[in-house]
Amino acid sequence: MEPPAEVVHWMFGVGFLFLGLCLLAEAIVGRAVWRRRAWRAYLWPSVAFLMGILMWPVMVFYTSSAIHMLAHGAWAQTMMLAGMAQLGLVRGKLKNAAWELTVPFALLVSGFAFLIHEQNPWLFSRAAFLHHALGWTALAGGLICVGRAGRPRSPAFNAGFAFTIIVFAFLLFCDRNVAPIFGHLSPLAGGR
Amino acid sequence: MRAKALAAASLVALALPASALAHANLLERTPNYGSRLAKSPPGISLQFDQGVDVFSNGIDVRSSTGKVVTAGPAHTADGGRVATVSLRKLPRGAYTIRWHVTSNEGHVLSGVYTFGVRVKPPPPTEAYGASGPTASEYIVKWGFFLGLALVVGGLVFRLLVLGTRVTPAVERRFYFVTGAGIVACTELGILGFMLTARDAFQLPLGRLIYGDLSPLAQGTRFGTAFIAMTLGFAVIAALLFLAWLTDRPAILWPALAVALVLGSGLSLSSHSAVEAGSSWRSETADWVHLTAACVWIGGLMQLAIVVWPLAPELRREAFLRFSKLAGALVGLMVVAGAYLAYERLPQASDLWQTHYGRILLVKSGIVALALSWGALHHFVVRPALERGRGTGSSVVSRSLLGESAVAIAILLVVAVLVDANPPPKPTQQPTRASAVKR
Repeated sequence: MEPPAEVVHWMFGVGFLFLGLCLLAEAIVGRAVWRRRAWRAYLWPSVAFLMGILMWPVMVFYTSSAIHMLAHGAWAQTMMLAGMAQLGLVRGKLKNAAWELTVPFALLVSGFAFLIHEQNPWLFSRAAFLHHALGWTALAGGLICVGRAGRPRSPAFNAGFAFTIIVFAFLLFCDRNVAPIFGHLSPLAGGR
Repeated sequence: MRAKALAAASLVALALPASALAHANLLERTPNYGSRLAKSPPGISLQFDQGVDVFSNGIDVRSSTGKVVTAGPAHTADGGRVATVSLRKLPRGAYTIRWHVTSNEGHVLSGVYTFGVRVKPPPPTEAYGASGPTASEYIVKWGFFLGLALVVGGLVFRLLVLGTRVTPAVERRFYFVTGAGIVACTELGILGFMLTARDAFQLPLGRLIYGDLSPLAQGTRFGTAFIAMTLGFAVIAALLFLAWLTDRPAILWPALAVALVLGSGLSLSSHSAVEAGSSWRSETADWVHLTAACVWIGGLMQLAIVVWPLAPELRREAFLRFSKLAGALVGLMVVAGAYLAYERLPQASDLWQTHYGRILLVKSGIVALALSWGALHHFVVRPALERGRGTGSSVVSRSLLGESAVAIAILLVVAVLVDANPPPKPTQQPTRASAVKR
């Protein structure tokens, strides 16, 4: 009854691509220019928040493994948290700059959840490879965002964050349920 | 140098578990969970996406009385991707399958489900050998009910009692307290689901992380309630956040509507719905009882920890308005509760002779204490406030906290009561596959 996992990953890939392109545009033109229209400031935090909400159905309907369910729950909560905090900061409801750290927190928790929830080694299959790559990308992105929280106007940190999210989208679009990676598919996954 | 070594060690530590944790996923079960078969199946077949090993007793199939009905040892086929076991010819009845296979890295994957031969099988939570609930589940359920009361009661209090008369400090704490209720409900809902799965699987939580939870999530009323409530609380969280962000309390109305629907979800998955002889009247009464209790307890806590300490100028009006609402809520609670007690306990002696009746007596005793406390507020504090006295009294503040504490104690008894089975009616024919209860 549920759509294949790869289709769900592509759908989230669309969301991450949009989010990443918004961040990249902001990094290129600078925050001051990007926010000349007030609604643009709300754009990427709203997308992150919405994606967090949409992750909940994934969590409750894909329960073939408890660890899988818990990992999706972690992503749902961290994405909502990061989106909420950013929206609060943009709106002026939150004053403390420490709320910026919710983004690296979300990425670091998500990265660890990816690495722990993927049960197979890198070259087991394409999905396994992508999960590992996503985990390490999120961890790297988390470190970049720690720097971004300290220097929010730094073009390097902003571009790094944007590319992290775009890489996320690219990896999600590459996902197939059973597919080889670099021509390799474990015999245990159906390869020869 | 040390930093580089530390970084390298961290990378290795992170990379290693990934290669040591490979495990298989169950793709298909034959027969499937919850299926009602017209005739005895020849065997059980579990198809995985990877090769697995299975011990000779790795697929255990039992009747509702616990009799083993397998006809030989379990073994693998199709290159280890299928674990299978033959069955004897099964007579009419419900059957429980518990399986354990070993994935290529040594992790043990598990599952439990039920099927019936010419009968509707019970859910996995009532499979043969399933146990519970345990003390930890009661505590988790208690916390869940408290969270629900904070959400439902908080929203009603904010919309109906406070209305437009709020200060920024009251508004901030209202969002904090209600938000805490949502977080509690979400996290404790997930934990409660895992603990129930543990009871059905009969495995410690550490081994349950490789458990197949699909039959529990998608084949039981409890699982349906878990799905609905998890999604519902995500929606409420979003609405509450948007109301806070945009300073538009009107957004709280749809949040309250969703929260009230969630209360009905709890009623539809509770013993009111599953016991034989239940009707729409008992389910409605259960929902009214639960909702009125949540509004009363949550509102009381808002009054005690939000309005009283932060807004002296609002105390009098908030108290008087909540007092009117509380009277109606208590009336609803008592009427619905009395109806449910009448429905579930056919004889008065069931009150002291059955487990369910004794818990109900304890609950009634604590409720009586809370109601007496409420009556004191109604007949002593309220007239004083109406005369313009008592708003600065710390005695009232402590008294409100005391009544809140008693109300929270009621929720603990409720957590125990909802998992207790009312005494069976003479015409009942239970379909449980198991009589085992801890």
